[in-house]
Order: sequence, then C-alpha cells, then structure tokens
Amino acid sequence: MTMTTATRMTTALNIPSDPAMAGFDAGLLTLAQWMSPAYPLGSFAYSHGLESAIRAGWIATAADLRGWLEDLLQDGSGRADASFLWAAWRAETEAALLALDAEARAFSPAAERQREGARQGAAFARSTAAVWGIALPELLLPLAIGRAARLMGLDPQAACALYLQSFTSNLVSAAVRLIPLGQTEGQQVLAALSPLCPRIAAETSAGDPAAVYSNAFLSDIAAMTHETLEPRLFQS
Amino acid sequence: MTPVPQSPVAAQPRAEGQLTLSAKRQGANSVLDRYRPSGAMKAMFPRRPGPLQAIAINSAGGITGGDRLAIAAEAGPGAHLILTTQAAERAYRAASGWGRFDTELRARAGSTLFWLPQELILYQGAALSRSLTIALEADARLLMVEPVIFGRTAMGERLTEAAFRDRIAIDRDGKPLYRDGLRLEGDLSARLARAGIGGGGGAMASVLYVAPDADAHLAALRAEMPPTGGATLLRQGVLAVRLIAEDGFHLRRHLLPVLDRLSQDTLPTSWRL
Repeated sequence: MTMTTATRMTTALNIPSDPAMAGFDAGLLTLAQWMSPAYPLGSFAYSHGLESAIRAGWIATAADLRGWLEDLLQDGSGRADASFLWAAWRAETEAALLALDAEARAFSPAAERQREGARQGAAFARSTAAVWGIALPELLLPLAIGRAARLMGLDPQAACALYLQSFTSNLVSAAVRLIPLGQTEGQQVLAALSPLCPRIAAETSAGDPAAVYSNAFLSDIAAMTHETLEPRLFQS
Repeated sequence: MTPVPQSPVAAQPRAEGQLTLSAKRQGANSVLDRYRPSGAMKAMFPRRPGPLQAIAINSAGGITGGDRLAIAAEAGPGAHLILTTQAAERAYRAASGWGRFDTELRARAGSTLFWLPQELILYQGAALSRSLTIALEADARLLMVEPVIFGRTAMGERLTEAAFRDRIAIDRDGKPLYRDGLRLEGDLSARLARAGIGGGGGAMASVLYVAPDADAHLAALRAEMPPTGGATLLRQGVLAVRLIAEDGFHLRRHLLPVLDRLSQDTLPTSWRL
C-alpha cells in the first residue's frame, strides 16, 4: 500500500513526463523567483544614477527613459553585467570565480555603483543559501546569479535575459517614482526594451572579461554625481 | 563600417615602432636608465631637475590601418617618470585593417608614474584598437589621463564611419585595480548624441589618480567638474574622473585644473601649447 502511494506521488510530481508540461523548463520558475521584486535584494533602493540624471534634466519623459535604458542595455552596465554573469557561469573553480569578481569590481565606474552590486550580491547569496542550500562567496550580483545558475543547473541564457529584464524593470520603477511617470507608461517602456534582453544575453555568451566594455559615459558620470546629490531618495 | 581585423598576410604594416625606456632614481632626481627607440617611435627628454620627463614622438605622423605602434616604459624603484606626447595623436582613415597602439607601463616600489598623453583625435574612417596596461608594484603612485576627441569638431566633422576599441587594465601587485573598456563602431556621432553615452558631446576623458592622498582631492575635483563630469573614490587611494565636453577645447579647459592639481603643477609644457 505504502509503495503504491509513493509511486503514484512520484509520478504526479514527475513534471517532464506529464504531456501537458512537455517542453517547459521548470528551472524558469526558480529564475523568475530570483528576479522578482519580492526576492529580498533591496533593489528598490538603487536608481543606478537615474536619480541624478533626472535631476540634471537629462531624462524627463517616457521616451527619454526608454532611450537612456536602451543605452544601458546596449552600451553600458547592462551589457557589462551580462558578460560577467556569463563569465561567472562558465567559471570552473572558486579561484577563477573570485578572480572574475575582482575584475568586475575594478570595472565599476563609481563607488556607489560598486556598492549597489556588492550589497545586492550579498543579499542574493544569503537568501539563495537559506532557501536552496547552495554556498556562494561574496560576489557582485550578476556574478552571484551566474554562479547560482551554474550550481543549480539552470539555463544561463534565460538567467541572463531575465536578469537584464529585472534590472530594467527595477529602473523603470525608480523612474515612475522620480519623473513622475504613469505605471502604464513605465510598463510600455519595459515591454519595448524587453526584446533587447535575450539579444544581449546571446551576444555576451562568450563571457570574456578581457572583452567587456561600456560606452555609457554619461550614465557612469550620473553614477558619480549621485554620490553628492541632495536630497535623494535612492542609494545610487 | 565594421572593419575586419587584419589577417597576417592581407596587408603590410604601414608603420611600425616601439619606444622602450625606463627611469631610475639618482639622488634627488630621476634620470634616464634605458632608452631604445625603434621604427616610428622615439622620445625627447627635456633636461630639468626632478622627475624624468619623456615626450614620446610618433614620426609616422599619425596612425592608420595596419600600423603597429607601442610604448613600453618603467619607473624604477623610487623614480618619478612623466610620460607625455609631443602633440595630439591622429587616427586617420584606415584603408584596410586596424591600427594598433599598445602601451605597457610598470611602476616599481616607491616610484611615481604619470601617463599624460595628449588627445587622441579620431578622424572619419579611423579604425584603431588600443590597449594600456599598467602594473603598479607595492606603494607605487599613478596619475593617468586618456583624452579622446571624436572627429575634428572645430571643422564640423562628423564620424559617421569609424571604429575605436580601447582597453585599460591597471593592476596593483598582480590584482585588478582598475578596468575600462570601450568599443564604438559605426556611426560614432550618432552614438555620442545619445543621452546615456555622450549627450551630443564630442570629446571625453578619463583620469585616474592612485596615491595615499587621493581622498583629499575628491571634494575639490568634484567642485571643478562641469555638469557632464564626475569624480569618485573607487576605493581608498583610487580616484577616478570621467568627463564629457562639447569639443577638444572645452575638454582641455576642464582637464587642465584637474591635472595641475593632481600633478602638483608638474604638467609637461607640451600640454600648455
């Protein structure tokens, strides 16, 4: 009797064999959980220089916001983060992983920008260790996600694309509070930029730290000027 | 245009040259230790007490596709080496392949290294790939500037076809201290017009200062910045400045006070001309 019940339960939970679930990657649910605003990284506290760019008058409308975020994804920290996420996913040893993290920290264009990545990376490591029991060293957020995806056998392309989308989504939320912008307009900006996320995830898949680049100069400068911005809602 | 990196058999290098030099400490002064010019690259050494000043000269008169230019320089233990260039470096239209400029610097314990090249001017059609590698040992100090002008803006030139790749890697005792990478290809003027990139500016500079007193300069540098410039303390003793300006003239106007302050008024005279 007991055996039968156990067998039936196993069958019921064996998702891949359920024809209704064929082709669905259940690992996406874990990635969605990590990238959700509810995952306790404290991301809502960071504007990634958006607050000072808005104060400087560089971003005033939904169209401005879309252009700015496109620059981040296409040319700036979004692309660089994606490269580092892939590099961390590819790292074969803990020593290689820590060397990559040192590269990524040296690549940070401003003190607040580095703190933003370090604090969220630490929060991600704490929560992910507590929930799934995997051990992560101190890493900047994109590296921590790349490493965790590797340890848990999750699709790195999906992890990278979803990371870029959640990064963009978080900045849209910040802009909605700062500009101000309607929620719907914010979601329109996010929807317009989302196709860039899988594309950049694919373009950065080599994860070569020596080839990482960022041309988003004014975004980096906004991260610097935010350090003395008063008054301020955000930590970056 | 996306230029294809030159294949080894496709084109002969147009110009080649490597400048190799080092400075050593001698009493209160720094003097030339080794000097080896080769090909298009040589240096001048204005005679004056104190730091050793070396003015690098590219006698090919610019850089274009297929060129291979390099500088390797070292500040020996306790020495002070100031490296600059005689004039702005011009990256001309490349008929085929990339031009390369690779600089490798080392600063030994107790030394001070200033890397203060004048502006790089990218012309329409340029295809330039550069690298700058700096190894700092122990307590060595560094002041670095890299100014870039995107097109002869005074002549209204627009860079609708150009390619520029730049890589800066600075290590302290073999560990990464500062990294920067840049990759702009195609219609550079259109890219620089974008709000998150250049906001329509035509010139950009990065400054890095590595010294125990870096923190003490932060407030003053911030105060000197235009709205399109910023200064940050990346970590204790490491100060970075990034600056966008409308053209080369304004870039220099903002850079001079920054460099005067951080070089303690030892900026090479070629910067004043």
